[in-house]
Amino acid sequence: MEATIALLLDTANFTLALLLVTLGLVVIFGLMNVINMAHGEFFLIGAYVVVAVSNATGSFWLGLLLAPAVLAVVGLLVEWLIIRHIYHRFIDTILATWGLSLVIKQGVVVLFGPGAQSVPNPIPAAVDVFGVQYPAYRLFIMALSAALALATYYLFFRTRLGLQIRGVIANRAMAASLGINTRRMDRATFAVGSALAGFAGAVMAPIMSVDPQMGVGFLIPSFLSVLVGGVNSLVGALIGSGVIGGATTIFSAGISQADAQILVFLLAMIIIRFLPNGITGGRK
Amino acid sequence: MLAVENLVAGYPSGGSVLKGVTFDVAKGEVVALLGRNGMGKTTLMRALAGQLAKQSGSFRLDGRDLGGSPSYAIANAGIGYVPQGREIFKDFTVEENLLMGVLGKPNLPKRLPGDIYDFFPILGERRKQKAGTMSGGQQQQLAIMRCLVGQPKLVLLDEPSEGIQPSIVDEIGRTLQTIARSTGLTILVVEQNLDFVETLAGRALFMENGVIADRADHIGELRDKPELVHRYLSI
Repeated sequence: MEATIALLLDTANFTLALLLVTLGLVVIFGLMNVINMAHGEFFLIGAYVVVAVSNATGSFWLGLLLAPAVLAVVGLLVEWLIIRHIYHRFIDTILATWGLSLVIKQGVVVLFGPGAQSVPNPIPAAVDVFGVQYPAYRLFIMALSAALALATYYLFFRTRLGLQIRGVIANRAMAASLGINTRRMDRATFAVGSALAGFAGAVMAPIMSVDPQMGVGFLIPSFLSVLVGGVNSLVGALIGSGVIGGATTIFSAGISQADAQILVFLLAMIIIRFLPNGITGGRK
Repeated sequence: MLAVENLVAGYPSGGSVLKGVTFDVAKGEVVALLGRNGMGKTTLMRALAGQLAKQSGSFRLDGRDLGGSPSYAIANAGIGYVPQGREIFKDFTVEENLLMGVLGKPNLPKRLPGDIYDFFPILGERRKQKAGTMSGGQQQQLAIMRCLVGQPKLVLLDEPSEGIQPSIVDEIGRTLQTIARSTGLTILVVEQNLDFVETLAGRALFMENGVIADRADHIGELRDKPELVHRYLSI
């Protein structure tokens, strides 16, 4: 029983962090038709911002606050320097962002070395949850990630900026002909998507091994989440993250990491075989 | 108001469709653009809306050169576009579709004016309904209002009667005429339905092979000179 509760909490934890990364990926793809292979590295930079700020000032919290801001700027720069020149050339965006991911990864190796960094747990206490002693910091991650995901959904579905962004996703040419500055929407979305990934990296840093490969470790499950949930669907991002995040944590509990990965991939393949457009189908 | 001069435009793969289009539209005029399919009417509309890049020539609105501007800048300069096929946002409600018409406009309040549903009351009844579930005629009314709520100086109206039942076509024609007369709105309309054209337009331009080939300076000439209609419209 206690093991089950702990497992459920771990699942929720991973799923919510995954959702933050997936949301950025989905929105950037939906809006600009760009598959951002460097999105995992935005997660990576978020974690290293925390490492750098913690080392320099001793404050984890300052790092956590700064990471999304740094990534918003990084996102804007990437959009301005690279994406906007090639976003209508689908394959080239994959190559260019993949190249960018290599540059970022090697840059991190140059600056911080190839080894793993550790970030001390900022809230070392444990909390009693239904009789289970569960790390307070993990509960904090869940609460904050859930709040941020809700805020993101609120932004897209309940605000006028969100309406415009969804309008550009649905019909870019028509939205532009109504006077909506589609370039501004692209920039805003890229910044928000990058900041979400950066925040996820920062908040996960204390419970992960922070090393130059950690971005890929998050990019792959978030791609699977997009495919399983349904490309172009913000609701699909939530469902996909739930399925992939849940399956990953639950399988990992019983068997080795590698075997769990195989099972998760198999599950994704089965879902995509029967629902080629993902669980939400063609819904936008 | 609109001055088009030697406009050449087309699709990136297929060379130029417009081969030097020149005409003017004065403020408050409703001008029909007639011609058979494939003569470049829709291409001209798309070029004026900025959805196709011009290859050469120019077009000006109130003296301001807009050729080469991105479409959102053209829209904000005062050219409204109601495209062929309507292109409404199917998953948005009627109200959200109309909001899209004002949100991008820097000089307009970011809300809908209170009298927006006066012209087409059915839109008011259905304002919370998803636009994709409405009939073609209602969607056309929505596309027109979505454009007008942005307060354009010139409206490009591409085949508003296409695929719509006759009674609604009449209603749309009469309402547009009322709006044009009361507000001095300028309209350039592409249309196959000659009854609709005669209700709405003051004069007509005939397009053939990517150029303006002829004109009827008074819309009555469509009846008085059947050879014009025969020459440029019959198949």
